[in-house]
Amino acid sequence: MRSIQRRLSLGLISVLLIIGLVLAQTSLWLFEVGLQRYLESGLRNESELLLVALVRGPDGLQLDEHRLSPGYQRPYSGHYFRIDFDQGHWRSRSLWDLELPHPGQPGLHADLALEKTDQSLLLLHTDYRKFGQTISITVAQDYTPVRDSFALVQRIGLGLGLMALILILVLQRVTVRRALRPLERAREQIFQLQQGQRSQLDERVPVELEPLVAQINHLLAHTEDSLKRSRNALGNLGHALKTPLAVLMSLAEGDKLAGHPHVRETLRDQLHHIQQRLERELNRARLSGDALPGARFDCAAEIPGLFSTLRMIHGEHLELSSEIGAGLFLPWDREDILELLGNVMDNACKWADSHVSLTIAKGADGYCLLIDDDGPGIPVHHRDEVIGRGNRLDEQVTGHGLGLGIVKDIVEAWGGRIQLLDSPMGGLQVRIDLPERLSPQLPGTESTRQLS
Amino acid sequence: MRLLLVEDHVPLADELISTLGRQGYAIDWLTDGRDAIHQGATEPYDLIVLDLGLPGVPGLEVLQKWRSGGLSTPVLILTARASWAERIEGLKAGADDYLTKPFHPEELQLRIQALLRRVRGLVNQPKLEAAGLHLDEGRQCVSRGEEDIQLTAAEFRLLRYFMLHPGQILSKSHLAEHLYDGENERDSNVIEVHVNHLRRKLGRAVVETRRGQGYRFAGTGE
Repeated sequence: MRSIQRRLSLGLISVLLIIGLVLAQTSLWLFEVGLQRYLESGLRNESELLLVALVRGPDGLQLDEHRLSPGYQRPYSGHYFRIDFDQGHWRSRSLWDLELPHPGQPGLHADLALEKTDQSLLLLHTDYRKFGQTISITVAQDYTPVRDSFALVQRIGLGLGLMALILILVLQRVTVRRALRPLERAREQIFQLQQGQRSQLDERVPVELEPLVAQINHLLAHTEDSLKRSRNALGNLGHALKTPLAVLMSLAEGDKLAGHPHVRETLRDQLHHIQQRLERELNRARLSGDALPGARFDCAAEIPGLFSTLRMIHGEHLELSSEIGAGLFLPWDREDILELLGNVMDNACKWADSHVSLTIAKGADGYCLLIDDDGPGIPVHHRDEVIGRGNRLDEQVTGHGLGLGIVKDIVEAWGGRIQLLDSPMGGLQVRIDLPERLSPQLPGTESTRQLS
Repeated sequence: MRLLLVEDHVPLADELISTLGRQGYAIDWLTDGRDAIHQGATEPYDLIVLDLGLPGVPGLEVLQKWRSGGLSTPVLILTARASWAERIEGLKAGADDYLTKPFHPEELQLRIQALLRRVRGLVNQPKLEAAGLHLDEGRQCVSRGEEDIQLTAAEFRLLRYFMLHPGQILSKSHLAEHLYDGENERDSNVIEVHVNHLRRKLGRAVVETRRGQGYRFAGTGE
C-alpha cells in the first residue's frame, strides 16, 4: 500500500493543475476576445472615417488627404488601410511597398501576418456602397504589442500559479501530516506492541481512529483473557488427570503388588508413558507462542525469583550467576520464557558440579541466551540425540530428555535455534538464538517515515 | 515426626497416609483449606504437605496466611500445576519445596526427609548422622561403626526425632506431640518404654534423662 500522504499530494497536484490551466487559459481567451471587440470598434471607426474621406473629385473618386490620420503616412507605423473600388485601389502610405493580406470575407480577422515584417495584424474588412459603386475598405492595426503583453501576462500568471501550487502543496503536506499524526502514533504504538514495550494502545485518539484502537485493544484483552482461561483449563485438566495418576503410581509401588512383579512392571511402564505424554502435551498446549503481541519478560524482575527457586530445588551449594544487560526485556510471554529458562537451567543444575551461569544478550537481529555449567557435558556424538529433530520422548536420554523437549518446542515456536556446545566452564553450553520479534507486515520505522 | 497432609483427593490421601505411615511419620489429614489455615497454625507440626487445588481456600492462599501469621514450619507443595511460573509463585508464597503430580511415592519420602534435615541445618546426605550413629531411613535401621542394629517402627520414629534434634532437651509431652497424630492417644509412659528400648539396644548413654525437664539425645558420646 502507498502512503496516504503521497496519494493526497498526487490527487491534489493533478486537480489543481487541470483546473488552474483551464481557468487561466479560458480567462485569457475571454479577455482577448473582449479586447478584439474593443479594437474592432476602433477599426470600424477608422474605416468609416476613410469612407467619409472619400470624396467625388474632378476625375472620379478622391481621398481627402487632410482627413487621414498621420499614422497612415509613416511607413510601417502599424496602421494600414486599403481601399478597393471599381476603378482600382489605394493603399496607405504606411504600407510602403508591402501588400496587405486580403481576406475573402468581410468582418474582423486576427493573426494575419504582414509580409516581411514580424507584425501580426488585426484586420477589418468592410464593404460599403457610395456614389453608386461598391467600395471595400480594409483597415488593419498592428496587434503585436497587445500579443506581447498577453504573453507577458501569461508568463506572470504561470509563475504565480506555480508558486501558488507549491505553497498549497506545502500547506497541504503540513495539514495532512498534522491530521495523520494520530495515525502515525498508532503505528508506532503497534510497533512497540510487537516489541513488547507496551501492552495496550493509547485510547486518546481522534474520533475516526477510536473504533480501530478500541477494537485492537479489545482483541488484545480478549486474547490475553482467553490465553489465561485456556491455561487455567489446562491446569485443571492436568490436576484432574495427574492426581489419579499419582494414586496409581503410589499403588504400583505399594506392597499389594509385591506378589505380581510382572503386573507392577507393566503398570510402572504404562504410567510412565502416560505421565511423559501428558506432561509434554500439556506444556505444549500452554505455550502462548506468538498469540499475544504485548507480552514481555522483564529479566531484572523475574530472574532472581527463578534463581531462588532453582537454589531451593538443587541446594545452596550451587553457585548461580547471571549476566544480563541492564533493563533488558524479552518480547515474549513471561510464562513461556520462565518455562524455557526454568527447564534449561534446571537441567544444567542437575549436571553441574558447582556453577551454572546464564547470559542473556541482545544482538543486532535477535537475542542470545547462553546457559553454561561445569558438569560433565555431553559428548558431541550424543548431542544430536538429545535435541535431534523428530526424536520421540521415550527415546530421549533421561535427565536431558523431557525438559529439553519442551525447550525445543518453545524455541521452534518462536523461530529460534537451540545448539549444544562446549562451555568455557568445562561442561555443556546450551545456546539459544531467538530472532527479533517483528511481524512481516510491519516495515521498519525508517522506511515508513520517508513516506509520510 | 508429625506431618500435616492437606489434600482433597481421598484416594491419593489414603495412599500417602499409608506409605508415609509406614515410614514412621504421624500424619494428620485435612481436605479443606479453611481448616488447614487454622490447624496448621495451632498444632506443632514438623512439616506440612500442601496440595494447591483445595476446596474452600486455594492452597497458595493458605500458605500465604500461614506465613504472614509467622508460621515457620517447612511446607512442601504438592501440585499438578507443573509450570515454572507457578513453581516460582509457590516458592515466593513461602513454600520450601515443590513436588509435581504425579510423583513416585519414594520421591515424596526423599523430599520430606531432605526438607526435615535442611530445616534442622543438616547437610543433604543419604543417611541421617548424629553423634556416631547413622540412621538409614529407607531400611529403618541404625548403624554404629560396622554394626547394624534393627529397630521397631516406634523406636525408629523416636530415634529419628532425637537425631534430628541432637543436644536439645525434649520433654515427654513435646515428644508425644511430634510422634503421634492428633487422633492417637498420647501416653507419656509409652515414650518412656521406647526410650528404655533404645537404651537397651544402643547403650544407656544414648539418651540422657534430665529430671523434671525431659530427655536429651547424647549419642554414643564420641
